Amino acid sequence: MSAFEVLVWTLRLAFLGLLYLFLAVLARGLLRDLRAATSQTVRAAGALLVMAAPAGTPAVGATMELETISTIGRDADNVVVVDDPFASTHHARLTFRGRVWYLEDLGSTNGTLLNGRPVQGAVPVGFGDEVAVGQTRFRLEPASGT
Amino acid sequence: MTTPSLAGVHPRPRGRETSLLALAAAALVVGWLSLATTQAGHLSAGDPSLLVIYLVAAAAIHVLFVMTGRRTDQVLFPAVVLLGGISLLFMARLPPSLVTQDAGPAGVLTLAPLQLVWLVLSLSVIGTLAVVVRNDTWLRNYKYTWAAAGVTLLLLVFLFGVEVNGVRLTLRIGPLAGQPSELLKIILVVFLAGYLAENRALLAGTSLRVGPLDLPPLAYLLPMLAMWGIALAVVVVQRDLGAALLFFAVFLGLLYVATQRTSFVALGLLLAAVGSVFLYAVEPTVQVRVAIWLDPFAQALGSGFQIVRGLYAFGRGGLLGTGLGAGLPSPDGTLAVPALQTDYVFAGLAEELGAAGAIALIGLYLVIAERGLHIAARGADDFRAILAAGLTLVLVLQAALIMAGDLKLVPLTGVTLPFVAYGGSSLLGSGICVGLLLALSDAGVEAPAPPPALTRGERWRARGRSAAGRLERAVR
Amino acid sequence: MARQGPQRRRSPRAGRPVNRGAAPPVQRGLARLAIVILLCYAGVALGIGYWQGLQAQALTNDPGDPLVAALRDEPRGRILDARGTVLALDTTVDGVRVRRYPQPAAEPVVGYWSPTLGSSGLEQTYDADLAGLSGTSPVDALLRKFGASAATPLDVVTSLDMRLQADAVKLLGKQKGAIVALDPTTGRVLALASTPSFDPNQLVAPGSGAAYLAGLSAPGNAAPLLDRATQGHYTPGSVFKMVTAVAGLGSGAITAGTTYPDQPAEDRTGFLVDGFRVVDGDHPWTDDTALDLVQATEVSDNIYFAHVGLATGAAALRDWARRLGFEAAIPFDLPTAPSQVTSGGGPLDGFVDDVELANAAYGQGTTAVTPLQMALVAATIGNGGTLMRPTLVDMVRAGSTIVQRTTPQIWQEVLPPAQDQILREAMTGAVESAWGKPIAGSAAIPGVPTAGKTGTAQLGGSGEPHAWFIGFAPAAAPRIAVAVIIEQGGHGGEVAAPLGGQLMGDWLRMSH
Repeated sequence: MSAFEVLVWTLRLAFLGLLYLFLAVLARGLLRDLRAATSQTVRAAGALLVMAAPAGTPAVGATMELETISTIGRDADNVVVVDDPFASTHHARLTFRGRVWYLEDLGSTNGTLLNGRPVQGAVPVGFGDEVAVGQTRFRLEPASGT
Repeated sequence: MTTPSLAGVHPRPRGRETSLLALAAAALVVGWLSLATTQAGHLSAGDPSLLVIYLVAAAAIHVLFVMTGRRTDQVLFPAVVLLGGISLLFMARLPPSLVTQDAGPAGVLTLAPLQLVWLVLSLSVIGTLAVVVRNDTWLRNYKYTWAAAGVTLLLLVFLFGVEVNGVRLTLRIGPLAGQPSELLKIILVVFLAGYLAENRALLAGTSLRVGPLDLPPLAYLLPMLAMWGIALAVVVVQRDLGAALLFFAVFLGLLYVATQRTSFVALGLLLAAVGSVFLYAVEPTVQVRVAIWLDPFAQALGSGFQIVRGLYAFGRGGLLGTGLGAGLPSPDGTLAVPALQTDYVFAGLAEELGAAGAIALIGLYLVIAERGLHIAARGADDFRAILAAGLTLVLVLQAALIMAGDLKLVPLTGVTLPFVAYGGSSLLGSGICVGLLLALSDAGVEAPAPPPALTRGERWRARGRSAAGRLERAVR
Repeated sequence: MARQGPQRRRSPRAGRPVNRGAAPPVQRGLARLAIVILLCYAGVALGIGYWQGLQAQALTNDPGDPLVAALRDEPRGRILDARGTVLALDTTVDGVRVRRYPQPAAEPVVGYWSPTLGSSGLEQTYDADLAGLSGTSPVDALLRKFGASAATPLDVVTSLDMRLQADAVKLLGKQKGAIVALDPTTGRVLALASTPSFDPNQLVAPGSGAAYLAGLSAPGNAAPLLDRATQGHYTPGSVFKMVTAVAGLGSGAITAGTTYPDQPAEDRTGFLVDGFRVVDGDHPWTDDTALDLVQATEVSDNIYFAHVGLATGAAALRDWARRLGFEAAIPFDLPTAPSQVTSGGGPLDGFVDDVELANAAYGQGTTAVTPLQMALVAATIGNGGTLMRPTLVDMVRAGSTIVQRTTPQIWQEVLPPAQDQILREAMTGAVESAWGKPIAGSAAIPGVPTAGKTGTAQLGGSGEPHAWFIGFAPAAAPRIAVAVIIEQGGHGGEVAAPLGGQLMGDWLRMSH
């Protein structure tokens, strides 16, 4: 095979490979999403009440219903979006496991505070506890309607 | 959707969309290199201005999304950009003189630049709709108005339309020509969504028992059927069988989603079968279509020519394709497969990218399908759910229909491959669909996004919890 | 987007206008819809697999494929003989590219190529090279063709010598039969003729070709399209005795000096094998001598070889025949049909019984051979017991660049030279010795020791027998080995042997 043929084959296979890479990056996530969404909507087992939000959103006093696993951060695809410049794109995660809520920091720049203390690993959170992400503070509340 | 507010604009990072767009751009750049190298005989980038403009436009719209900070779906746009990019690559590969348009001071535009113009317009439509549409009342509350608008559009085409290839699809207003059937699909989906959402319970809950059959309550179904009947009749009279087939499939799909009565769908299919047989008996063009579908080689030089040539193109592609730019050439401007840039674009891509590429293309449409259905499932209420489902079906069923037609699995119809085939109307129509889908997908400030890592146990428990909640509300 | 004041977040399903609980949630419907969509696309994927996987080859080979049409107008390489004589080339007739064959005598080897009527012979076997499409993969070939560099049609240089080929065709004349001539030391085929043949120029003529082809295939015609040399199946008669001899010697069942005491008597009365009487031909000059291997070959004694066959046994006979190339299609540049020792299926290692074995040993029974196979037998014996792989193409080149060259290859070491020498003597004696001359003497080349064996294959019924001759010359270090058959030509020694000798003699003169 001449050098030119090798080059063209490489480019062709690279193109196909990148197309499939695009699909692969999405594959598992999409299937999971769809299955989760078309099985019944998950009822929240908790909510976050916004105590302080210097950035403006979410509005102070608003209640954000939580999913069983809820991420908090600046990126648009978080469950709880905070437009706080001191928050990272994916800042923290609240997980409902067993009968307890757990809070963990997702490697954020400024850390996550639980009742004023920095969070290391997965820490249990009770109703009434305060979670601070950047300059935004939330309080964990029981879910509305239960 | 939230109430309109000027203050609610916050830039938000959209990490997933950014990385997906980067990946798509990388793929398109490599594809362009592959095409230019094959055509030049040595490593070359050709004249990349088309691709550069396209990627810049896509990036600009992405920046727009980030700046406006709406929490819309982050996967749809990159998937569409990738499809559009593949389209651009293919149009760049075809003989440029296939389509020309005098653009006044800009000179005469040929195939690829024209497609670029339409693609950029389509992306702009997506961007605009995704950012601007924050309220669905204008869609939801005026369903009969929409329906009337649709019928009017149809009649306009019927009366004043221009015949192209024996099919009266195009409406010419001054220098612009378009195919309103694209808009029509969306209008009718909007109408259906509104109607079905409103009357869903009644439709699903009551029925007319005729012998062993469960028929839908005619009083509620009748207006809808009438709408459909008119639309279909006019479409069929115009000989746009593909659009008729698509409308009907979308209709049945939405009916099922709304009522989940398989008996309705069965009835619908029965009606479709009866209609098809009737059409076959009465309409000679339908007979021809069916004949060349069943055995195109018997008429290889006559009416089956296009299908036969399309199949040869698939065969030449094999598993890995011939490579972009290396498919059968068209030295004198005539194509190896007629209508390669519209009806048979799938065959052309399959020839050059092989079965591997064709399946990747299917994958991209499945991504759009998944995202659309996901948006529907997460819709705040029935109207949005059904609307999203309808828009998704319009895109995805159309793609499947033309792919299957090219492959001789079903008779060939004149629908186009969304975002890939050449054609301004098709691109704009698909753009409106995706734009609306994105607008519908806005999770709002508080609304939940999908749980990223539910273990099976957690899923089951969540299901149990929500089922319990439902039961409670029903009993209440 | 911001909400003012404390507000409950609206649950996802709140605000729905009508819900009596009668309508199931849309999610389930959507899930089912997702499955339907998936099924639709799965169908499309299957379609892709079908047309681009299973049917891809069939589609691209279909003459209607525009690719094929595009190729039709591409130049095609030439076919040449070993000395550069052109056997096939392109010409243009009324602006259409047509194949031309200046030497119709080379017909069975060269074949023909027509865009509408297909191809045969080397035109078919080397189609990819001639069309310039040979590359590492068919897709690569396409790339080269329609991409940057145009493909180069290659020339195929055969091992044929056109002078010998023309000679062979002339010798066959109007008879039905075949001649194969090859170089035993290299396996290169020097001539391969099959008559009656046809005129390939008429076959590829645009327009009239189809009618000509139909005429050729008409029943009653002597099958001119059949290549008798490689695919004709004939009862070998006595030429098969050389195979039996190879098997007997090779397996150790007999030696050069083996004799059968009852043989002279049986010559006269016949040899009873399980109630079947094996009869011998007429050679009164041997009197009552019990013949040894060489002598039995010289007079072509059926009884002797029947004994040898029985002594060797069915399994060994077939085994050694297989080493000579029997029972499988001979790997060759043209399609070949396998030769058989028995039609098989019987309990005695494929033979029905000893009767069949005995008959097969002297070339009757259900043995059926191709002329190419018998030529290989002669070549093996002439080459000291080593069978060389037969080749028809010396090289494939593009201009002066050689793309592919064939080197002589040993296919099988059948017999050690010491044992082979016995057979060489036997075949030489069959032509040259006093005892052999009356039978095969007409094959002798003046001044050159010639080795050979005739055969007269009885066909049963009242038809004439096939006339066979195999041989090689010069006997000690042969430069040519031949097989000649004239279908229902009569006596091998009278009809086939002279042709064989003439051909070999002509070659020795030509190739000096």
